[in-house]
Amino acid sequence: MSTSELSEDYRDCFQEITNVAMGQAADKLARFLDVFILLPVPNVNMLQPSELAMALSAVNHDESVSAVCQGFIGSGIAGEAMLIFNDSTFQEIADLMNADSDDSNQLELEILMDTANILIGTFLTGLAEQLEVRYSLGQPSVLGRHVNIEDLIKINEKRWKQTLAIEINYKIEGSNINCDLLILFTDDSLNILKQKADYLLE
Amino acid sequence: MSISILICDDSSFARKQVLKALPSDWQTNVFQATNGSEAVQMIPEKNIELLFLDLTMPIMDGYEVLDHLKKTDTNCFVIVISGDIQPDAVERVKKLGAIGFIKKPVNKEEIETLLVEFGLLVRQPL
Repeated sequence: MSTSELSEDYRDCFQEITNVAMGQAADKLARFLDVFILLPVPNVNMLQPSELAMALSAVNHDESVSAVCQGFIGSGIAGEAMLIFNDSTFQEIADLMNADSDDSNQLELEILMDTANILIGTFLTGLAEQLEVRYSLGQPSVLGRHVNIEDLIKINEKRWKQTLAIEINYKIEGSNINCDLLILFTDDSLNILKQKADYLLE
Repeated sequence: MSISILICDDSSFARKQVLKALPSDWQTNVFQATNGSEAVQMIPEKNIELLFLDLTMPIMDGYEVLDHLKKTDTNCFVIVISGDIQPDAVERVKKLGAIGFIKKPVNKEEIETLLVEFGLLVRQPL
């Protein structure tokens, strides 16, 4: 079965479910950092691996980035969530967290992992609740640090075929902090996701 | 007598969810808008008395709609239905004049409670 097409009904349904889950994730992070997070209209699309880098709207392509990824699997659905930051935003987040350390390398890593845990964990939980599925999350791991975004994607694009991709650009109001949450589902997940959507669209 | 209501959300799935959550015995004239700009045009045109408003929308978002209604002194109840559940979001829309905030996914009871509270739906005692 070709999965290249996603009907407007399905796309709209996945986008709305994304809206709710991204709001829950933003709420968690907003409370943690005591900030207001500006929420975008999320992008939900079928993407070729070669299109992934372009889909990342928050990321400044001239700057180095760092990223964390976390896999999820269960109920016939599998995929990977990635959180990508421009490296230049770490200091601002550290200031918000009142975090200070002599070891800036370690501090960056902590910020990266803490933020990823909140955003990815809450987002995936919100998604599962609405779809009425259960999946388990793998350990989050660093996908790359201080790397160029094109290289980061290139190293990883072999793992992906054409895929359902969700992209969310979180911005913190009154700051330059800006990150991209990217959720990629495996090709095999799409049929189950559509079945779950059918149930919601009834 | 039926009340004219407008459901404004860029997602047709979300608008359907709101429709499904309305009290079944409530007499309404339902209109729909896919963004804020459509909504502010329709409100005076269709004499909308109650607006169900999403916040995150393209072209004109929910905050801008509330701001516009306030500036133009438009007499229309607004209930915000949003996935943006940050405490600040709730506070901001209330300040901008929304009578209620319901978090997505919508639930029937919450809508009914608000409608009764603001006299938009009258429940006869049994």
